[in-house]
Amino acid sequence: MIALGWLVAMFVAAPLLVVIPISFSDAVSLEFPPPSWGLRYYQAYFADPRWTQPTINSLIIATAVAALTMVLVTPAAFALVRHRFGGKGAVNLLLMLPMVVPHIVIAIGYYAFLSDIGLLQSFPGVILAHTALSVPVAFLVLTASLKGFDRTLERAALSLGAAPWQAFLHVTVPVLWPGFAAAALFAFVQSFDETVVAIFVSGATTETLPRRMFDSIRMQADPVIAVVSTLLFGVVALLALAAMLRRRAGG
Amino acid sequence: MDGAYLEIRDLVKSYDGKTRALDRVSLSARRGEFVTFLGPSGSGKTTTLMVIAGFEAPDAGLVRVAGQSMAGVPPHKRGIGVVFQNYALFPHRTALQNVMFPLLMRKVPRAQAARKAAEMLDLVGLADFGNRHPRQLSGGQQQRVALARALVFDPTLLLLDEPLGALDKNLREQMQLEIKRIQRALHVTTVFVTHDQSEAMALSDRIVVFEGGRIQQDATPLEIYNRPRTEFVARFVGDSNLLRARITDPGAGIAEVEGLGPSRVLPQQAQVLPNGQGTLLLRPEALAPAEADAPNRLVLAVEEVVHFGDSALLIGRAGGVTLRARIGGRAAQGIGAGAQVPLGWRPDAAHLIGA
Ligand SMILES: Nc1ncnc2c1ncn2[C@@H]1O[C@H](COP(=O)(O)OP(=O)(O)O)[C@@H](O)[C@H]1O
Ligand SMILES: [Mg+2]
Repeated sequence: MIALGWLVAMFVAAPLLVVIPISFSDAVSLEFPPPSWGLRYYQAYFADPRWTQPTINSLIIATAVAALTMVLVTPAAFALVRHRFGGKGAVNLLLMLPMVVPHIVIAIGYYAFLSDIGLLQSFPGVILAHTALSVPVAFLVLTASLKGFDRTLERAALSLGAAPWQAFLHVTVPVLWPGFAAAALFAFVQSFDETVVAIFVSGATTETLPRRMFDSIRMQADPVIAVVSTLLFGVVALLALAAMLRRRAGG
Repeated sequence: MDGAYLEIRDLVKSYDGKTRALDRVSLSARRGEFVTFLGPSGSGKTTTLMVIAGFEAPDAGLVRVAGQSMAGVPPHKRGIGVVFQNYALFPHRTALQNVMFPLLMRKVPRAQAARKAAEMLDLVGLADFGNRHPRQLSGGQQQRVALARALVFDPTLLLLDEPLGALDKNLREQMQLEIKRIQRALHVTTVFVTHDQSEAMALSDRIVVFEGGRIQQDATPLEIYNRPRTEFVARFVGDSNLLRARITDPGAGIAEVEGLGPSRVLPQQAQVLPNGQGTLLLRPEALAPAEADAPNRLVLAVEEVVHFGDSALLIGRAGGVTLRARIGGRAAQGIGAGAQVPLGWRPDAAHLIGA
């Protein structure tokens, strides 16, 4: 069992074990294992606006997606966890739909829809499309932490003289903070590494990093791609680690 | 309702529109009184507490505190301190910050709030724990913080919902004394909820026994123990022998008691028994080793002896009924299963309950 576990772990980690060494290669073209070591690809990456611009685009888009997702998901999660109402099941299902619809279908749908309303290849267009994809994950995470929230804490706050909004601000939000943070993080990551939809709806000036990578590998197999992969993985891993450490510190 | 500080009248509450969680609950408490709601799980104790605190609206009835109707007053404007069963301490705040919270909500300046909160922590014996977070405190310590937090703003009432349920026995007894001490010191009118009858006996000025959303009896602990109004109360509070009884001579106080035959009871009790039918309550300690002058005698065929050191419980049969007798530990020495023990009881040690 343990051996099998290691095997699976190796299999999952294998691409990283290839990509990370290549990013530190000194070879002129993609080559594994690297014949010699250096930082030339990193220099190339940081010097080339064709790489840095998509990186900035991706960061802008992912941040906006995280914010917009939270604005949408927070009231939805509170309503669905705390209240009973007609059509609750349907609302729940609709919210989770983007999770089961293939990304390519969503991509084509948004392509048609965004071009109709003139937002194709614009920041708002990409942000909207990515938000739709982020909602289910963020909703799941937030719902889970909301379900675990002990409402007697709010009652206690009320009994101690806090108005309902004060109870929400001083008790509910701080206690649920890790849940909010995790939900936003998932939304951010979901957008930051999303490729299919971005290929369809982002344009020359709004190109995201994964889309740039896709274009790049199709044309020339630029070794800088290994650097970007490493950085991309680094960002995601760092965020995940931060979330994990927070949880541990939170007890 | 002379001097009633908390007054509850005819509360009715249904959660589902069919069954009544509260069915015309009325009671009152004087200022500074310690009142306990005692009853089995689901009998409506918490619901009554939540109506008082304003978290549940009653379908009918009224709650008055210090002469003021609470109808339409939201929980945060009632000024009632509540200690919840799971303490409900704010996990992201230290003990001191938890206790400061109600003061800050009342716009008390921070420095003054900190001072007052520290004093209150001192009163509950946690002067050195102000900087700890709830998760760094033991159950008993969390309990004290919750108590300090509910008291620091000089509440009109203190409500505690089974606050000691999660603690082990020793700690529970220690906290009972502590709560009583603090309650006396602050002279705060208190409603305490428990399903533990010995806890209720130990703490209360008055006990209100709940069952099925109704009040079965509202009296002092001794009254509840010695003169329960219903069989339910007799069974719920303390150990008991309950035997069918039929009055045969009200004037002389003679009753035909199940298993025991004609027995002497108090005439004043026999005379008020409806239809002359009822139940005789004999607390196990009312059955004593027979003395020459005991008006009622029986011989217990002992089946089991449980020794407690200071006393012992004899369980056996007499006249076809099972009886429990609690006698002194010394007197119980040498008594074992199979023994025939002569016992007696006095009319004033028994109590007749109307059928
Ligand atoms: N929030 C609620 N929703 C529906 N029914 C409830 C709720 N709270 C309590 N009840 C019901 O009301 C009755 C009284 O409950 P409760 O006041 O909690 O009793 P106790 O505190 O004495 O155990 C029970 O039958 C219980 O199932
Ligand atoms: Mg309860």
